Amino acid sequence: MTILGPVSTGTSGTAAQAPTDWVRALSVPGPEKEAALFRLHELLVHAARRQVARMREQLRGTADADDIANQAADDAMVAILGKLHTFEGRSRFTTWAYKFAIMNAAVQVRRQAWRGCDVPLDDPDLIVERAPTPEAYAQGRDLATALATAIAATLTPHQRRIVVALLIDEVPVDVLAERLGTSRNAVYKTLHDARVALRADLRAAGYLPTPSESP
Amino acid sequence: MTERRLTPEIIRRFTVDGEPWLSCDDCFARVDEYVDRMLADPDYDSPAMSAHLRGCGACAEEMATLLDLAARDAGVDPQPVLPRLGRWCQG
Ligand SMILES: [Zn+2]
Repeated sequence: MTILGPVSTGTSGTAAQAPTDWVRALSVPGPEKEAALFRLHELLVHAARRQVARMREQLRGTADADDIANQAADDAMVAILGKLHTFEGRSRFTTWAYKFAIMNAAVQVRRQAWRGCDVPLDDPDLIVERAPTPEAYAQGRDLATALATAIAATLTPHQRRIVVALLIDEVPVDVLAERLGTSRNAVYKTLHDARVALRADLRAAGYLPTPSESP
Repeated sequence: MTERRLTPEIIRRFTVDGEPWLSCDDCFARVDEYVDRMLADPDYDSPAMSAHLRGCGACAEEMATLLDLAARDAGVDPQPVLPRLGRWCQG
């Protein structure tokens, strides 16, 4: 039974062959499995490197991009082999596999970038920025003032701290979750609920179109 | 109390329409299918996925790399699907 073939699943610029049926290749002990594991690891390292490269501006000098990518790929390999039975074929296998390496790499880059940095979790005074022209200033200032009012009046102190950290201080959602001892889901839910409340306020005040007016 | 400035970019971030709701975990669970289906059919959309990617910079930053890799595997140009995925995916 041949399960290795020159199939173009997975591009990393390397010449190693990819299995036509990844799940079977990775499940049945033997030389095919060894070859598939090797090829998969190559692909995961490649995917993790691409993510680190995308985020390289966030990495400070001391962080080793290759270390992050290799660790992300190793961790992804473990996750993928543990979840192999959950792959439903709703995407290419390689697309499914890449996402584990990509997320691990991104989380590591963000963690490194914020290592040793304080996450300011205060309840700030929001200042309305001056726009460059008088017209833009008048238009933008109205919306900005309405938004500042809504943030102060509608959001809870907890919501305010979360949205300010995420949207103004640009603390990544996973870093903030880690600092708060909670999950990425929970932090994003707080942001989502805050946006829903702010948009409702701004819509009621005529600053955002109502759903029926939206294109 | 410290001060923060509400610039036009900050205002945009606050007023992103993130509906319908989708969690980061559900985004991760679906992102591979979302990317492959979009590459196969540029008209394909999942409103909840698109909303989450508009509203969540971290998931969008990860999806952008997945889209690049999957596009190359599929031999497809990802450009047609980039504009509606928001600013995070265009870098
Ligand atoms: Zn997310």
